Amino acid sequence: MGRTEKRRRRGLKFYLSIYRKILVQDLKSKMSYRADFVISTFGMIMVNLSGFITFMILFKNFPTINGWDYYHMLFLYGFSLVALTPVQCFFDNNWSLRYAVESGDFIKYCFRPINVFFYFISEVFDVKGLGQLAFGIGTLVFAWSHIGIPVTFMAIVKLIVFLFTASLFMIAIMNAAAATCFWIRGSGYVMVIMFRFKDFAKYPTNIFSGIFRILFTFIIPIAFVAYYPSLILLEPDNIPVLTYLSPLIGLLFFFLSYKFWLLGVKRYDFTGS
Amino acid sequence: MSDQIIVMNNVCKDFKVLNRHEGLKGSIRDLFSRDYKVVSAVKDVSLSINRGEIIGYLGPNGAGKSTTIKMMTGVLEPTSGEIIVNGTVPYKDRTRNCENIGVVFGQRSQLWWSLPLVESFKLLRDIYLVDKKDYDDMMELYRSLVDIEPILNKPVRQMSLGQRTLSDILAAFLHNPATVFLDEPTIGLDVSMKAKIRELILGLNKEKKTTVILTTHDMGDVDALCKRVVIIDKGEKIYDNDISHLKSYFGSYRTLRLKLADDTWEEMVIDESKTDIMEIITKKQKEQRIKDIELQDISTEEVIKKIYEGGAA
Repeated sequence: MGRTEKRRRRGLKFYLSIYRKILVQDLKSKMSYRADFVISTFGMIMVNLSGFITFMILFKNFPTINGWDYYHMLFLYGFSLVALTPVQCFFDNNWSLRYAVESGDFIKYCFRPINVFFYFISEVFDVKGLGQLAFGIGTLVFAWSHIGIPVTFMAIVKLIVFLFTASLFMIAIMNAAAATCFWIRGSGYVMVIMFRFKDFAKYPTNIFSGIFRILFTFIIPIAFVAYYPSLILLEPDNIPVLTYLSPLIGLLFFFLSYKFWLLGVKRYDFTGS
Repeated sequence: MSDQIIVMNNVCKDFKVLNRHEGLKGSIRDLFSRDYKVVSAVKDVSLSINRGEIIGYLGPNGAGKSTTIKMMTGVLEPTSGEIIVNGTVPYKDRTRNCENIGVVFGQRSQLWWSLPLVESFKLLRDIYLVDKKDYDDMMELYRSLVDIEPILNKPVRQMSLGQRTLSDILAAFLHNPATVFLDEPTIGLDVSMKAKIRELILGLNKEKKTTVILTTHDMGDVDALCKRVVIIDKGEKIYDNDISHLKSYFGSYRTLRLKLADDTWEEMVIDESKTDIMEIITKKQKEQRIKDIELQDISTEEVIKKIYEGGAA
């Protein structure tokens, strides 16, 4: 028979190595469009700058909100920017899912012997997110030093773990929002609304009234994109249970959104080609 | 082990389609409606394909060709019946099935848009876990069949349609799959590119004994590549036999061309088993003078057209 039937394994190592190779090639080709690269980076900086200036003006007038002073707010702001970077850089292709599904092009992702979600998401790496990352880190460091949180090894570890947690929530929200296109038309609005919601992540959730607090905690977990995780450093004496639980809840949400996405693929009947 | 590579037994596929209502009220009603109608896209199709065959899988638009291909590739689950491709049930084990198939859609490139072709090839080599030696051998074969050097370092987005199709076909054969599905591989290509693509497919099929399932509306493809033709219409298989058999199967058709007194050609397709050609000529001659007569064997295209139009006996 000539063809040997090998039992082939594709584990985490396999996927990481494929991702790295796609990324390197993609960056190479992006660099060759230099003008495009420069303009989009510049655009991202302007977007962040204008957001930052609005924020400054707002908080010069209200020195504290619910016990949160200017630098605490700034910390939250920087935290949310950094936490939003992974969704921007690695999961940006979710924005194109709707078009791929509606045009029928999506079917091509089903012909390779690899995970469909991975194959689709790995196709795009958005460099613009890096500008946001730099901006976020800058803001975070600035706020950190003014608040005077002691710089210890544990503090850094906590920061990294909880930043990671926070990004998981945003990724989960965008995965789920994008996957709605397998069921409904006009799912673009769902994504835009969810993406707008992320702006609320910059504010401490305890300033919202009861209904919104419940909404942003349990239904659309925006409060986990900055507020709850950042409390681990901002209020070490008064950490809510939800903060401790957030890494687990984050993994759970991410897993559910991933399953929801794949369920959409199974359900989708690929008509119209 | 038998040499059958694809077996389909009594395969059916139904789709549930919502009965849509008109107007604003209608669309609100549709939101909650459970008013579905069932559309059968594929009805009780059985098929068996051997290793190394090139099959023309034909049918008019909406006949159920794509649905069949999607079931064979594991994207869709049949409503009933059984499909086995290379020993696996495609829908149950999509990943394993994908190891052994290659797919080309004429109008949709599956390569990484911004990467040079050779980088796409290397990624595919890694994805399919192809040994270095097998990969090098395959590239060697490619070089012997087509001139790939000029496109190897070109990003796919900068390629012409012909180059892109060529690249897609090469990419589909790269991991030496048992079966390759080609959907309209020559659509939109010029005559010389079409010939080149056909030659390439034949060459790869001969060298690698790859089974090729070709869906197309271009009868030139069918004439050049396929020995066997399967035709499906309204979800049912209506023909499955040799292509040489096709022309006589639905009657012995020939095309009669008459040059009339005003120098125009009149063309008609005649079934010789039913009508006598001489009779027609005689009848016509009584009406007006005939300057010239031509008699042609019917083209595959004409036969297929007849079948699609409902000429199937």
